[in-house]
Amino acid sequence: MDAINGLMHGFGVILTLQNLYLCLLGSLIGTLVGVLPGVGPMAALALLLPVTFTLQPVGGMVMLASIFYGAMYGGSTTSILLNIPGEAASVVTCLDGHKLARQGRAGAALGIAALGSFFAGTLGVIIMTFFAPAIAALAIRFGPPENFGLMVLGLVCTLYMITGSPVKGVLMIALGFLCAAIGLDVVNGRERFTFGSVDLSAGIELLAVVIGLFGVSEVLSNVETMAKSTLVSDKIRGLWPTLDDWRQSWKPMLRGSGLGFVLGLVPGGGPVTASFMSYALERRVSDTPERFGEGAIEGVAGPESANNAAVAGSLIPVLSLGIPGNPVTALLLGALVIHGIQPGPLFVTQRPDLFWGIVASMYVGNVFLLLLNLPLVGLWAQLLRIPYRVLFPVVLLLSVIGTYSANKNVFDLWVMLGFGIAGYVLRKLEYDLAPFVIAFVLAPMLEQSMRQSLAMSADGAMIFFQRPGTALLLAASAVLVALMFRRKRKTEGGMP
Amino acid sequence: MKFSAIALALAAALAATPAAAQGGDTKAELAKLKPKDFPTEPIEFTVVYPAGGGMDVTGRLLAKTVEKVSGDRIIVNNRTGGAGMVGHTYLATQAKPDGYTVGVIANLMWGDAMLRAQNRWAYTDLEPIGYINSDALIWIGSTEGPYKGMSVKQIVQTAKDKPNTVRIATVPGSMWDYIVDQIEANFGAKFLRVPFQGGGAGITALIGGNVDIAQGFYSEFRGHLEAGKVAPLGVAAPDRMDFLKDMPTMNEALGGNEYQWIIIRFAVVPKGTQADRKAYLGAAVQAAMKDPELIAEYKKAGVYFDSKLTNPATMLQNLNAYATREKEFYQKTGRLK
Repeated sequence: MDAINGLMHGFGVILTLQNLYLCLLGSLIGTLVGVLPGVGPMAALALLLPVTFTLQPVGGMVMLASIFYGAMYGGSTTSILLNIPGEAASVVTCLDGHKLARQGRAGAALGIAALGSFFAGTLGVIIMTFFAPAIAALAIRFGPPENFGLMVLGLVCTLYMITGSPVKGVLMIALGFLCAAIGLDVVNGRERFTFGSVDLSAGIELLAVVIGLFGVSEVLSNVETMAKSTLVSDKIRGLWPTLDDWRQSWKPMLRGSGLGFVLGLVPGGGPVTASFMSYALERRVSDTPERFGEGAIEGVAGPESANNAAVAGSLIPVLSLGIPGNPVTALLLGALVIHGIQPGPLFVTQRPDLFWGIVASMYVGNVFLLLLNLPLVGLWAQLLRIPYRVLFPVVLLLSVIGTYSANKNVFDLWVMLGFGIAGYVLRKLEYDLAPFVIAFVLAPMLEQSMRQSLAMSADGAMIFFQRPGTALLLAASAVLVALMFRRKRKTEGGMP
Repeated sequence: MKFSAIALALAAALAATPAAAQGGDTKAELAKLKPKDFPTEPIEFTVVYPAGGGMDVTGRLLAKTVEKVSGDRIIVNNRTGGAGMVGHTYLATQAKPDGYTVGVIANLMWGDAMLRAQNRWAYTDLEPIGYINSDALIWIGSTEGPYKGMSVKQIVQTAKDKPNTVRIATVPGSMWDYIVDQIEANFGAKFLRVPFQGGGAGITALIGGNVDIAQGFYSEFRGHLEAGKVAPLGVAAPDRMDFLKDMPTMNEALGGNEYQWIIIRFAVVPKGTQADRKAYLGAAVQAAMKDPELIAEYKKAGVYFDSKLTNPATMLQNLNAYATREKEFYQKTGRLK
């Protein structure tokens, strides 16, 4: 078989001391940037891009790719332990992961996150090995109308993420849309809600919003309760997932992997969207959705698998067609170009050493990451023994560095601070923050795909029903909304 | 421990930066121009688009070569947002004019200055010190579907006979849009304009069958051209491309001389930069542009070198002529009062 031969060739390329070292180094750096709040894979890749100039293309690409998927492993750690997302794709992991940590089950949550990441990452690479070109050809046909259907489905899923008052939840979704509308109009390039400010014309940076809402506001809340709160570490018990955790987690891992892989493939998707949608999916299919937000292990297993699978999925269009679907893969593409390599449909046949080398390195990298992360579980859990008065200034400092490094724009720091204070107030008033963030992520893509679809359609909104993929996705969304009302009526009817 | 690992990798990268083996003459000439007190710290090359994009690759390759010929440390910094507007504004209004900030930008800055800066800054606030390269907008069709094998003329005719059927990918408020404006006005044609955030996304849509015509640069579609997925139809440049001799210019295909939409990349310093530092930086960029390795890298990326701009003596004058031409277009079309 071609794929097996290719993979063997890839392992031949990758199994040199230097390439293995670079893969390990990338995995380490990736874990580190994942763990550090604010510093995400994008910033790390941009920073280390010049370093790879001096390396062989294979080694350089292997290192950059391993930083990307390594960050997905590390991101969950901060979410679980501190309730602060290590990077944007780990926001939902806070919801249940941190609750688990508070119940003294940080080890179980960290373990499941690492194993889920490994499972999804490896599954993703296996699919990539055998089907990359075929899948890429299919993914590229996914156009604006299909994207619109997907975004609508994502939005409907957000409804399932609301834990408290539905009115407050929907309000947060609307606010997310409103904030996302700031900046340049995606269709005519005009400024919207910028009030003449150049900084606002760039829109609001997602990273600044996430770090502000989840990082800064968490620190503020904790400072307030610092005097009376007992440290989580006082009650750490069981560093490993129990058999029960496993029973509850394997299905979410499988579902998360599938969902994440598909969302990684399509243009505009990626780890962030994948993790959110996986969480909503798990809550929807669960028999006990009320456990979500209170420390459900499925709420860690699903999203943490999804974001890793999404990384594998998003590498397929880049490597087999030269088409990047998100900023990180665009950067990887740029790295190839700087090495004088032309990415494109012929890449696999022209540079089999590179393509298969990267694929093979992902098998190795995922093993490295598992070996790195599992023993670290105990160490990370010790992090909680650090007194808050030391930990939080460090977290704040890292948040500032991470946010600034994304665009090198001081304005983003004010945005971070503003959203930090807003997040603090909203928490006090018991508003959910997660629906805001996902609406903020989905809104620009929803708007763009809708307006693109209408622009390319000869007969208006009919295009959404003429394209089978879109029609299917919209129908699924409608069913989900109907189910939601039914469930609601049932619970209402069941009440005395 | 991890930090030291990164530091090690960085150190390795620095050590491996090749010393200038050739071009000893240029190096000596540059040394003569070098101010006594400059530079004492790394020079920042500001790129206003995200890391990994075409402009970023251009900037990083240039930085690498300037380091080689001058021996100075260069750091490439991406100040992104608002399709370049944030970075352009930073360079024009905030960056210190002390020689430590060099902008590696494109003529898209002119549009930002004329149409969007609202008199907060003007394009003359950024002073060109060296020309880098040019890229012309190319119309690309698919090798499948109803329009395969059609020429630019035939496609425009179709858009006239059957208005609102031919789907073309554009980037709103930029030259991708302006050329369609020109053609629609001159021929009474009407395209379905599908907006994208950049040329690359439009080419993806072309291959996926979601648009019929895409517009982009050679480097953006070369891989797909080699794979036989797309066909170049016409280039919006004054002359044919060396590497695509069979492709007509848009002027040839449609008759006229107004279909010229070109990205010109050049280096600038903020207005007010000390004359000696500006002269030194300009000489360093120009010396880098004589490096055969850099030229080869750029050629591989599919760009070309505009003979009007490659001569440093006349560069500024001709660059200003291009800017004036763009200004006249905005005035003629009522975009600029």
